[in-house]
Amino acid sequence: MAPSQPSHTPNLDKLIKSLRVQSLEASIESLIFLLKRRQVKGDECARATAQILRQVVAKSKWHDVDQLLSRVQSAGLRLTQAAPHEPVIGNIVRRVLGLIRDEACEDRNADDLGSEAASDIQSLAPTAPPPQKPALVPIRPAPSILTTGLQVSKSMFNLLSVADPGDTPMTGASTPMSQAQPASVHALRSEVMDGIEEILDEIHQADDQIASFADIQIHPGDYVLVYQPSRTVEKFLIKAASKRRFTVIIGSLDPPSPSATEAPYAALRKKLNAAGVQTINLASNGLMAYIPRVNKVIFGAKAVYQNGGLLVDSGSCIAAHAAHEYLKPVIVLCGVYKFCPEDPSDEVSQGALGNPSSFVSYGNGQAVNGLEIENTVTDYIPPELVDVYLTNLGPQTRHHLASILADHYKTEDIGFSFQLGEP
Amino acid sequence: GRRPSMPPVERDVRGGIPECFSHISMAKRIPLSQAHKDVHPAVLVIGQQMATFALKDSISRLRATLLAFRKVIEPYETPKGNSLSRHFVPHVLNPQIEYLTECRPMCFAMGNAIRLLKAKVNKFDIDTPEDEAKEGLLEWIDFLINERITLAEYVIAQNAAQSINDGDTIVTYGRHRLVEKTLLGAKKIGKSFDVTIIDDPYELGGQELATVLREAGIDVVYSPNLGGLRPKVAAASNLFLGGEAIFANGALQAPSGTADVAMAAMNAGAKVIVLCETINFDRERVSVDALTYNEIDPERCTAESFRLLFDNTHDKYITGVITEFEFGGGNSPAQAI
Repeated sequence: MAPSQPSHTPNLDKLIKSLRVQSLEASIESLIFLLKRRQVKGDECARATAQILRQVVAKSKWHDVDQLLSRVQSAGLRLTQAAPHEPVIGNIVRRVLGLIRDEACEDRNADDLGSEAASDIQSLAPTAPPPQKPALVPIRPAPSILTTGLQVSKSMFNLLSVADPGDTPMTGASTPMSQAQPASVHALRSEVMDGIEEILDEIHQADDQIASFADIQIHPGDYVLVYQPSRTVEKFLIKAASKRRFTVIIGSLDPPSPSATEAPYAALRKKLNAAGVQTINLASNGLMAYIPRVNKVIFGAKAVYQNGGLLVDSGSCIAAHAAHEYLKPVIVLCGVYKFCPEDPSDEVSQGALGNPSSFVSYGNGQAVNGLEIENTVTDYIPPELVDVYLTNLGPQTRHHLASILADHYKTEDIGFSFQLGEP
Repeated sequence: GRRPSMPPVERDVRGGIPECFSHISMAKRIPLSQAHKDVHPAVLVIGQQMATFALKDSISRLRATLLAFRKVIEPYETPKGNSLSRHFVPHVLNPQIEYLTECRPMCFAMGNAIRLLKAKVNKFDIDTPEDEAKEGLLEWIDFLINERITLAEYVIAQNAAQSINDGDTIVTYGRHRLVEKTLLGAKKIGKSFDVTIIDDPYELGGQELATVLREAGIDVVYSPNLGGLRPKVAAASNLFLGGEAIFANGALQAPSGTADVAMAAMNAGAKVIVLCETINFDRERVSVDALTYNEIDPERCTAESFRLLFDNTHDKYITGVITEFEFGGGNSPAQAI
């Protein structure tokens, strides 16, 4: 592992700045380093992944779509393995893969329609399967290995090319491409990069778009319980505060460390108080005592699974359970890019363990000796505890998750994480 | 201790309480100079200890109160022309009670004991000689401490220890005297089991319990907070909880966070067992949520933080209550008395 530099701690912004000057490999390595040290985590992972994949498209050597796909897949795979606890990375990789497939399809169609030389049947052939078709297929994790994705795309090329069935897919794909290659590679590169730029914009704007629904969800006089408010939740509350008078009850899992100079969420509370919204900071782990007073519970998710279950920072689960017990609505804020087209693994539902040393001093041999300390840092919330998923595309219920997933991912990329090949 | 010596708390400390919790009472430190002149020194001391939470759980507060009342009764002399049964309660006992209540709202066990004590005093005939009456009261106090506190603790711990099976995983929340005694007792009679302690990071009593249990050779998994609660309780066979009070509707008042743990355990299929002395039972009052009877933590009542001391566990999340008299059903505490 690279030595840490105390003078300037590496972070995502520095990495992004250095992308232009660094080689691709160095950029990937430094992001992997940041991910492994959890210096890039949560929402930042999405942005980081998109930035790196943009570099992959821009800088790596590739001559056709298949090569590009496999470059992106292998870079994405390394990032995903560096941070298996951040499913968002896999989502962005899938989005980029889908984007490449779409652009490639459009290119083929454009070329093909342009060439008058093609016979009627040949010109009809590529248009017959609409390019969006794979996305409409019901979502189902493909139990495939890496090659599935490639095969699908190759068969598409077979349709496009003036294929005699006897030809191997490889020649079928390469024959038409070799003629138009320099231009189309160039065009594809810039189109895919534009597409990634759009994904970056989407990630960037998600919080603001989610916040625009704040005044619909929060009513005057409400008592809103927010659990460990993330930046998304903070924006949401501040936006609501500009229109409504309500009370925010802030819960958090652990007491602030004695070394902390500021009270928890001081900046957020200051902004809310300035807008006339009262805040109550709970110094409590249990929430059942306060829930009778609360009208609704709001927290952010790290990821939303296909079944509607959530991956959250540890503790939000208590809030969700308590709210469910008292029939208070649970509103989860999450950008669409956090929706994963897969089911939670067993490890996810068990929760990931973190560093226990902040709770029990290792200097205290008597207490530590033979003691097993479990500090859970992530929780899984089953779908039945969630009422609303408030996304940048508006509020959703779990019954509509499938169609959102179908709109954003291609079936051949869903199995991306299965292709990771368990070590 | 968790509460270091603090400068005297300002008078308008209740100003920091949010409007929606303003009906809930809070312990407060009364400077000794402001106490009523009739308050006995022994009572003054325990009043301060209660206000600073040096005496914290209901049973230690009850025991201290009864012992202090003993000191109040011993030197008592009925003024001329009065009788003990008429004079003692309004002129001697009540000022003590008022002072204690001002320091920290009385717990239900104290309320029960004081009601019993007053009834006892009222039963004396006007003509009962003073010495005889005082002797009777002192004996009665000793009897109460023995039967309802000391013996009760012993019997409950023993019964609960018997209910542990070999191979069980016992979960508990924070540190409670009865649970600790039960687990140590079960280990002593040769049961093999392991314990998961879920702690409240704002109290950290669970850490002390973990150390004690480790020293006794019990395998302990320690969770510093309520994170990952569901998978942790899912592996459990029993959840042992201590309580501050049980209401007539079967609801349990216990340290904040207990209800969350009990609900998770019940949903995960573990048995939720409450260990509670019957003196903590309140057969008259009913509590439907944690905002009916509760207390605000005086140390955490600022603009920066707010905390309620207790929460309310609905009886549907309690499998059973073990008292000194029987293994009761959680939803019929009145029958257990």
